Amino acid sequence: MSDESYSRLVREHFANTEHAGDLAGAVAINADEQGIRLKLSATVKKGHIQALRFRAWGCPHVIAACEWFCSRYEGQPGESLSGFQASDIMCNLSVPVEKTGRILVLEDAVRSLGQRIGGGSAP
Amino acid sequence: MATDFIYLDYAASTPVDPRVVECMRECSEFGFANPSSNHVAGRLSRANIERAAEQLAALLNVDPANLIWTSGATESDNLGIAGAARFRSHRGKHLVTLLTEHKAVTDVFRMLEKQGFEVTWLKPAEDGRLDPATFAAALREDTQLASIMYVNNETGVMQDIEAIGSICREHDVLLHVDAAQAVGKIAIDLQALPVDLLSLTAHKFYGPKGIGALYIADRPGCHVEPILFGGGQQRRIRPGTLPADLIAGLGLAAEIAQSRIDADLGHLNNLRRRLWAGIQDIDGVLVNGDIESGFPGILNVSALDVEGESLLLELEPFCVATGSACNSKSQEPSYVLRALGRSDLLAQSAIRFSMGRPTTEDEVELAARRYREAIGRLRDLAPAAAS
Repeated sequence: MSDESYSRLVREHFANTEHAGDLAGAVAINADEQGIRLKLSATVKKGHIQALRFRAWGCPHVIAACEWFCSRYEGQPGESLSGFQASDIMCNLSVPVEKTGRILVLEDAVRSLGQRIGGGSAP
Repeated sequence: MATDFIYLDYAASTPVDPRVVECMRECSEFGFANPSSNHVAGRLSRANIERAAEQLAALLNVDPANLIWTSGATESDNLGIAGAARFRSHRGKHLVTLLTEHKAVTDVFRMLEKQGFEVTWLKPAEDGRLDPATFAAALREDTQLASIMYVNNETGVMQDIEAIGSICREHDVLLHVDAAQAVGKIAIDLQALPVDLLSLTAHKFYGPKGIGALYIADRPGCHVEPILFGGGQQRRIRPGTLPADLIAGLGLAAEIAQSRIDADLGHLNNLRRRLWAGIQDIDGVLVNGDIESGFPGILNVSALDVEGESLLLELEPFCVATGSACNSKSQEPSYVLRALGRSDLLAQSAIRFSMGRPTTEDEVELAARRYREAIGRLRDLAPAAAS
């Protein structure tokens, strides 16, 4: 059966939210825009992202995008967050263009998280 | 074709009864001729249509001569409302309808407003019901037509058509009823019910898509101007070659519905009771409409702090609706639920479960469990709301 609404990756990441939750003693960023709510949490060790977690209230694309982001950026250098672009997710997960605004909220949150980590507020 | 889904969207459409499929197949093979033709094949085709008219007329307790075949409820609504409003426009141009009508009705009224008619849009109570006194107060000297749906397609709310129709008769106002969700599902006796125009479609009661009908009462002042032109069929009210196979299918679907209407209602009542019992204690779940007086085939519920699109995906492989199926591609919250006073967020989280003849107790109990799990998972995923 064909499905125009969600790509295979969106379905997989929406169904398997292994990175959902919170982290103790983490840097955290909250966002509440465009009809979605996000919380990103990160712990950093020696300049690298040790763990990432998210919480999200939004459509399947937003939840899948958060999971995709967390799974891709764990273990990466903290400064890599500043280069995060919504277009990566839009392309990789085949997010429809009408959802761009919501994915941009995630981009803003990720970049804010990067600034917080880069600013030395990580534990 | 794979059927790896559990269908709970019978308000959107129903599967065609296998007996209806066979009837249409036979009709397509042997009764395919143009029913307007005067040769033997044409007469055979015409006989199939006449038989279907008798079957539908028996379901509604009307004279077959008062039925006009259409392509479905949307066309019936268009013909009934626009046709009657124009027919009586020399008497007055005031019309009345409900904010919670189907788009096939509201869009016709919007079009008529642009053509110089004045429309009073009534808002129902929080339970979706229209108080007949509110309706009566909206009528004026120049009111010519009102359109009130029988069963709401999103909520299952049933209006008091008998009371509203009586008020219309007292004021010499025509009453059109969109009964797409009611015909074949609840008993309708148009000899007893004061209704002038009634729209229906076959695919809501196990008949084929693409065929419906408009009932036009045989009483003074009740008539419609055509909205289609191009032939003399159906007394020029609705020209066009009649699809004898689809009409035969509608007729048989109507006959089957009539034979089991009480059994179907009992079945649906049981299913809705079980479904509601399985979810009613979930924190923050609200019924949209009125569960006591509503049509038992539909249960529409909203959940606090749950996003509707994610809920819909989480509920797969259950086929349910987030609102009117005709409107489900839209990101806009349901205007029907907004009219009942639901917030955008609650309206957006609404799920319509609609059950039918093939639905089993196991399916609705599984649906209730799945709904409970989905609500729990999505709430667990969400960050705390800002205080």
